[in-house]
Amino acid sequence: MVSTGKHKESSASRSYLADETTDMALFVRTSDEDMSFWNRQRIVDALVREADVDPATAEEISKEVQNQIIASKIALITAPLVRELVNAQLIARGLEKARKMHTRLGVPLYDVDQFILHPNKENANVPHGPEATNLTLAENIKKEYALLTVFSQAIGDAHMRGDIHLHDLGFIDRPYCSGQSLEYIKKFGLNLPNALSIAKPAKHPEVLLAHMVKFSAALQSNFAGAIGWDAVNIFFAPYLVDLSDRAIKQLAQMLIFEFSQQAVARGGQAIFSDINLYWEVPKHFEDVPAIGPGGTFTGKKYQDYTREAQKFVWALFEVYKEGDGTGRPFFFPKPLVHITEKFFQTEGHEAFLHLICDVAADKGNTYFVFDRGSTAKISECCRLSFKLDDQDLLDAKEPWRMRYSALQNVTLNLPRLGYTSRGDDTLLFDKIADLMDLTIKAHREKKAFIEKLMSQGERSPLSLLTMNKDGAPYLRMHRGTYLIGMLGLNELVHIHTGEELHESNRAFKFGLKVISHMDLLTKKLSKEHGMRFVLEQTPAESTAYRFARLDLKYHSPEAERYVKGNLDRGEAYYTNSTYFAVSSQMNPIDRVVKEGLFHPRIEAGSLTHIWLGESKPSKASLANFVIKTFRESLNDQIAFSPEFTNCLGCGKTTRGLNDACSHCGSREVEGITRITGYFTKVSSWNKGKRGELNDRYKNQGFFENR
Amino acid sequence: MEKVKVFVKDGCYKCPSAKEVGTLLEKEGLNVLYYDLDTADGLAEASYYGVLSTPTMIVEDTDENTLADFRGTVPTLQTIKEVLLKRESPPLL
Repeated sequence: MVSTGKHKESSASRSYLADETTDMALFVRTSDEDMSFWNRQRIVDALVREADVDPATAEEISKEVQNQIIASKIALITAPLVRELVNAQLIARGLEKARKMHTRLGVPLYDVDQFILHPNKENANVPHGPEATNLTLAENIKKEYALLTVFSQAIGDAHMRGDIHLHDLGFIDRPYCSGQSLEYIKKFGLNLPNALSIAKPAKHPEVLLAHMVKFSAALQSNFAGAIGWDAVNIFFAPYLVDLSDRAIKQLAQMLIFEFSQQAVARGGQAIFSDINLYWEVPKHFEDVPAIGPGGTFTGKKYQDYTREAQKFVWALFEVYKEGDGTGRPFFFPKPLVHITEKFFQTEGHEAFLHLICDVAADKGNTYFVFDRGSTAKISECCRLSFKLDDQDLLDAKEPWRMRYSALQNVTLNLPRLGYTSRGDDTLLFDKIADLMDLTIKAHREKKAFIEKLMSQGERSPLSLLTMNKDGAPYLRMHRGTYLIGMLGLNELVHIHTGEELHESNRAFKFGLKVISHMDLLTKKLSKEHGMRFVLEQTPAESTAYRFARLDLKYHSPEAERYVKGNLDRGEAYYTNSTYFAVSSQMNPIDRVVKEGLFHPRIEAGSLTHIWLGESKPSKASLANFVIKTFRESLNDQIAFSPEFTNCLGCGKTTRGLNDACSHCGSREVEGITRITGYFTKVSSWNKGKRGELNDRYKNQGFFENR
Repeated sequence: MEKVKVFVKDGCYKCPSAKEVGTLLEKEGLNVLYYDLDTADGLAEASYYGVLSTPTMIVEDTDENTLADFRGTVPTLQTIKEVLLKRESPPLL
């Protein structure tokens, strides 16, 4: 029994319905959480408003759909159902563009059920809970939105096929990652858009810390990736004068615990935070007027606060050494120590180097960044860094201006180019160039979208980034970089030359040639487009798995020979970026030196991992290794990664990845080690990364143990 | 046979002199290879040797061991000949 809404119907339809209906009520479940009477006019309005369909056609379509629904005698009608019936009509009429604009984005009921009940392994940094589920669901919708409207069809298709990977699609309405200076909040206080209260510049270090944490959380809501802070111990130093060692240690503890425990921000994640640290005051900050309590100039230069800065960084590493309440390593913030020429000329550097190496051996936290010669760098993400050019060095005199951002990251699937080039050099290099062109196009489209959002000024959804306190918006678009990453160079070389990178000089040189080609193209395209494109070693946490699976799908049986990991267990992966195969048994110094030869080509920064397994090298042997790396290689950055097993039964943490606790025998244990650029529990890793973990060569016997 | 590898780049003001030295070495019958850092092959070779500035000249023996390298400077013809001379005569026991 059907009856319909009384208003706004044309007489024609009413007479049709009058013939069919008696007294059945037809309700529609709408997206406004309402049960409305059926109203054909809503279809017409939507088509005209959303999809630019002319009114006459819209009328026709609405009548067709109405007839369909009545004829079907369906009891429960939902708005999504009506929308799809309308879409079917659009397709039947060849109105593809209108159909695209009229599309409903969303997730099937089954998938939502799965999300709510089962953990999402795409990002090991996201715990399982309602916030995380919110994040996943929203990301899904924004991903679809991005592929339908922000990026052109060619780009969307290339991503779906796996020729390229557009990172963080679910965060399409944000830039990728950022690096900034504490000077900004020291000088301007905490005055965030939409904030309920405004805070004046901090007078005390604990307040400065509180501002730093709040601001980091606000930044995390506006960026997809890492939040990096430059020269943290140096900029804190003017606030630490006359503080006792105990008070400084306490502050260090507060800082690390605040950042490592913040699993209460976006998506239930901790903020992916990096703090850049120095033993010496770097040259570019030596003579910069220092800002101190109250946000005023103290009258001194940062050089004058060397002692306080050193006390603070020392205290930070003491906290890292102790670990958390159960002795586990802290996952965040990641400490990046810059090793420069001046470092070796600064008093106390040997003891400090031993301390940070002690932490590296014991807990694995330390990242060693090498700023050789006159290179000044600030590092953001696990390996993202920005070399300071002349304009940056001018900004260094007013460090609050030093704000850097990468807007987007796009990674190229290199092994696939190997399958499709069939060993032909010219074809391969042409394909690389074509893929780069596509990548540039994607970056331009993302840039246009962010610019559109930023153009709304204070009313922009990115109002934190349009905020202007020093003559420029917080997000300095003109200084933005656009990252081009690469995955699986090792497998490409294997496919193309028959040997993996580590197997011969010929293969290794070929790998260098591929990256050199990309480097030259990147510079040429940057000039052409007036945008800063930069090569990066993408962390590729899930991309290494995704590309491998897609290649197994589209390029088998060939792919089965080259994809790494235990395919029977579904643990497929490609070797990250320009790395040697993780299983290759190279002497770690060789690895550092040879991988380092790629680093000058990868301007956004690179990293070499030294997996330690369960061994615990002496701090002296690591210190020697670090010095050797600085002096005898071009390697940008290294990190040592031990492994741990944490027992959920007795709470103790032991070294190595074990199935059972060596103290109490409980099998309720969690493995912890570095996934790509950060530590987390192995149970949250995707299958590809687990496969890679199984293959990692752990440098047994190389380092002298304690 | 020994090799001399010469790394050059457009716009590098010392590179023409480096090329001149290369030409002179060729006249003396040596195997001289030129690598332009604006090409993928040239940049790859430069990466392999960790060449960070041009001009750079690297002298290698037949087993591809580096005998001498001159980075960012141009050695004289004489200097290179001396490097090779030292290599040819075995050390007196």
